Amino acid sequence: MTDATAGGEQVWTGGCLCGGVRYAIDTHPEPISFCHCSQCRRQHSHVGAYTGLPRAALRLLNDATLTWYASSDRARRGFCARCGAGLFWEALDQSGAEDGPRITVTAGSLDDASGLRVERHIFVDHKGAYYDIGDDGVERRASTGETVE
Amino acid sequence: MSEQSRALSGGCLCGGVRFLLAERPDGVVTCHCGQCRRFHGHIGAYITVPRDTVAFDADATLSWYRSSGIAERGFCGRCGSSLFWKGDGKSEIEIAAGSLDQPTGLTTLRHGYVAGKADYYEIADGLEQFPGSSEPE
Repeated sequence: MTDATAGGEQVWTGGCLCGGVRYAIDTHPEPISFCHCSQCRRQHSHVGAYTGLPRAALRLLNDATLTWYASSDRARRGFCARCGAGLFWEALDQSGAEDGPRITVTAGSLDDASGLRVERHIFVDHKGAYYDIGDDGVERRASTGETVE
Repeated sequence: MSEQSRALSGGCLCGGVRFLLAERPDGVVTCHCGQCRRFHGHIGAYITVPRDTVAFDADATLSWYRSSGIAERGFCGRCGSSLFWKGDGKSEIEIAAGSLDQPTGLTTLRHGYVAGKADYYEIADGLEQFPGSSEPE
């Protein structure tokens, strides 16, 4: 269900299963990346799917149950402590961010992801052996950032 | 020891939940339903084993949420790893495939609940798709 404004533009909202965390995004989120790294797969049961945006464009409408876990020395992951839904991935050190701090949001937590497309698979050199990515025509990148076949 | 004879183990990102499996599942089945996609951030990937074949080495941070009238979902309350689907009255438990320590020797068998899939991705691996449950009744 798209919560459209009178002007017809899509409003991007989302949250967890239980309502403890609800957010609104005040911009068009970027195309989705599928992350095949072992941390995403262990947290999410399978690949992570994230869309990026400026941190300033994310409004937390409700954050009563939002909890953060520093999954490495580079990043922290936000989730709902009541229902376990995975919501955010955020770099810890954003001092070098040219256009300001950024955050990424899980595609599955959006109320309506219609209009978003998948841009690339990343960390494909770390993918699990138990599945195939398949011939989806989407660019694949290794953990080095290099495009791979 | 070949991958196929190795006992499976797994757990969350932070180690607060760790488990051993006494039996090997047939393989991995994905779930594309909206509830799994919200819980996991994208589609869920699960193995199914009898509950009494799962032994927990650690469960201090294991939390449960009643996500529907028929099931609870288990996750780590410290690191947010989404780990289990436990159907009411069922003798099995479904465990997140990504939480298993690699290598497992497992493969993905089929896709379930694709009637609930979102538009932003395609299923392109050629595996059989089921609009609802892919489990035999």
